[in-house]
Amino acid sequence: MEAWVRKLVTGCLLTLPVAASAVAASEQAVRVAVIGNSPPMSYVDESGKLTGFNVEMAHALCATMKIRCNLLPTSLDKVVDAVSAGEMDFAVVSLLATPERRKKVLFSKPYYRSLSIWLSKPSIKPGSPRTTVAVVNGSVQAQHAENQGWKTKRVTNHREISTSLVAGDADATVVPMLTAVSLMEKPSLQALGLESTVLSDPLISGDVCISIHPGRPELREQIDAALDEIKRDGRFDRINSQFLPFRLL
Amino acid sequence: MFTTSRTPDNYRHKLGAGVLLCRLTAVFSIVFASAAAWLAVDQHALLENMEDLQSRTLPNSMEHQRLARNLEVLRLEGERVLAADNPENRRQALFIVTLMAGHPSLLANEKARNLAIETEIFLTRAAQGSRIDENIRDEWTRISRHLSLTADDISVDGINLAREDVRQMNGLVEQTRQKLHGAVALVLGFLALLLLLIRRMILRPLQQIDHALSDLRQPGSAVTLPNYSLRELASVREAIVQLHGLMQEHESTRDDLQKLAATDVLTSLNNRRHFMFLAESELTRAQRYGRPISIGLADLDHFKHINDIHGHAAGDLALKAFADIIRSTLRHSDIAGRYGGEEFAFVFPETTPQEAVALAERLRAHLDAWVIPLKNGGHIRLTTSIGIADASAQALEDALRLADEALYQAKASGRNRTIQAKTTQLPLPLGGHTDNSGHSA
Repeated sequence: MEAWVRKLVTGCLLTLPVAASAVAASEQAVRVAVIGNSPPMSYVDESGKLTGFNVEMAHALCATMKIRCNLLPTSLDKVVDAVSAGEMDFAVVSLLATPERRKKVLFSKPYYRSLSIWLSKPSIKPGSPRTTVAVVNGSVQAQHAENQGWKTKRVTNHREISTSLVAGDADATVVPMLTAVSLMEKPSLQALGLESTVLSDPLISGDVCISIHPGRPELREQIDAALDEIKRDGRFDRINSQFLPFRLL
Repeated sequence: MFTTSRTPDNYRHKLGAGVLLCRLTAVFSIVFASAAAWLAVDQHALLENMEDLQSRTLPNSMEHQRLARNLEVLRLEGERVLAADNPENRRQALFIVTLMAGHPSLLANEKARNLAIETEIFLTRAAQGSRIDENIRDEWTRISRHLSLTADDISVDGINLAREDVRQMNGLVEQTRQKLHGAVALVLGFLALLLLLIRRMILRPLQQIDHALSDLRQPGSAVTLPNYSLRELASVREAIVQLHGLMQEHESTRDDLQKLAATDVLTSLNNRRHFMFLAESELTRAQRYGRPISIGLADLDHFKHINDIHGHAAGDLALKAFADIIRSTLRHSDIAGRYGGEEFAFVFPETTPQEAVALAERLRAHLDAWVIPLKNGGHIRLTTSIGIADASAQALEDALRLADEALYQAKASGRNRTIQAKTTQLPLPLGGHTDNSGHSA
C-alpha cells in the first residue's frame, strides 16, 4: 500500500515539469489579431463561434506553419498600431497595403485584391452634397471620405454601418467589396433599395495583405510560404466558397 | 658472367606501376566526373522544371480554374437578374454582376473582360426595363452560352499550362535516362579496358614470371620472357634472367668440381676415393639381391723400370695408355679406378669370378699386344698382373685383400698373368708367358 502511494506521488512529481512546459508553450502561442464584427470576413456565428473568411484563413495559416495561435478580436482602428507595437504578432485582417501602413508594419504577399463600393440610397451619387457617408474608423474608406471632403458618420464596425443606414443617420457608405456583398444580403438594407457603384480610386482598391510585426521578418517568410501552399492545395478556394458567392482571386 | 648491369637508367624510359595507377585513376576520375556532370545538367533542369511547375504553373493553372468559376458565377447571377420576381433580389443579383465585371481577375483576362463588360451592360439595361421580352431572353441565351464556353476554354487553357510543363519534364526524364545509359556504358567500357590493361600489363607477366621461376629448378632450361612495359616487371624479368645465368654457372662449376673430386687427373679414371665409394654401393646392391659380383686388382709389371729408363713422362704415357685400354676393353657396367701409383682396381657387377677372370685375361692380352710409341721415336711394351676375388659374400676390404693376395701370387708366379683368389677354388694359372724380367712390381 505504502509502495503504491509512493509510486503515485513520484509519478505525479515526474509529470509536473511536463505540465509546466505545456503551460509555457501555450503562453508562447502566437498572437493573431482578427476583426470581431465584420461579416463575412470575421464574425460570431449563431452558435457563438468566431468564424469568417479571415478567421478560417488564420486557422489554415497556423496549421500550415505548425504553430499555436491565439486569435484575438481587435477593432479595425487599433489593428495596425497593435501589430506595429508588437501587441500582436500578426493580423489576418483585410488591410490594403497603403504606403502609410507600410511604415508601421510588414506586409505579406497579397492574398487577394479588393475594390471599394459606394452604397447609397437611390439617386445619390458619390460626392453628392448634403450626403452623410458612414465609414469605419481606421479604414482606408474613412481616409478616402475625409480626402474627398465628404460629411462622415464615424462607426467602429461594419455592423454599425447598416444600423446607421437603417436609422437614417447616414445616406450612403463606402465599404470594401466583400462587406458590400454581406450588407446587400441583409433584408433590412434591401428594403432601402441601395444602389451600388464601384469606386476606382487607388487608395481604396488594390492588394489585401496580412500585416506582421516589423520585428519578425522570419514570420513574414513563413506566412508567405504558407499562403502559397494554401492557395496551391485548394484550401483557399474551399474557405472562399464557405463565405463568398464567387472566387476572390 | 653475372654482371650487375641493372642500373636505374635501364628502365627509366619504362612506365612505373605507381605512375600507371595514377594515370588510370586520373583518367577514370575525369571520365566519371564528366559523366556525372553531364547527368547533373539534366537533373538540375528537371528540378528547375519541377520548381517552376510547383511555384508558377500550378498556381497559374488554378487561377484559370477560379476565373472560369467566376464566369460561371456571372452567368448564374445573370440568370437570377432575369428570373428575379422582386426588385430587391434583382438589385442584389445585379450587384454581384457589377462586382464580377469589376473583378481584377476578370479584368486581367482579355476574353473574360470583354464578355463580362458586355454581360454587365446587357443585364443593367434589361433590369431597367419593365418587362423581360423574347428578344432579351434570346440575347441572354446567346450570352449565357458564350459565358459557359469561355469558362470551359479558360479552364482548358489552365490545364494545358500544366500539361506542357509535364510534357517538358517527361522529355527531360527520357533524356536523362538515355544519358544514364550512356554514362553506365562508358564506365563499363572503361572498367573493361582497365581489366584488359591489368591482365596484359600485370597478370600475364606475373604468370609468365611464375612459370619461369618454377622452370629455374629444372637443369638446362632456358628463360624465355618477353620484354615488359612496366618498369618493375622489366626489372624482375632482368633479375630472373641474371639469376638463371648465375644458377647455370653454379651448376657447371659444381659438375666440374664433382668430376675433379672423383677423377684421377692423369688417367681420367675414378680416383681411389671415388672408386671405393662406387664399389661399396655396387657391393651393397649385389649382396642385397644375392647377385654375383667380383673385384679385380691390376698392377703394371716393372713400372719402376720404365720410369727409371725412359723417364717419368714415359711412365705417365704408359699409365694413360693402360687407362685407355681399360676403357676400351671393359664393359660399360664395369667400374675401374686408379688405386695407387701403377695399381688399378675393378668392380665387375653381375659377374662371377670365372667370368671376371676371362675379362681380366682379355685386358691383360690387349695390353700385352700393345706397343706404346714414345715422343723420342722409341717405343715400349707393358704387361700387367691381375688378381681377381669373389665379392658376393664379403666386405669390400676383405675382397680387396683377397684380390691383392691373388695379385701378389700372380707377381710371384712370374707376372703377366691373372690369378683368382683362393677362397672359392684354387687359382688357376692361366695362359701367359713366363716372366723374363724377374722383377717384382
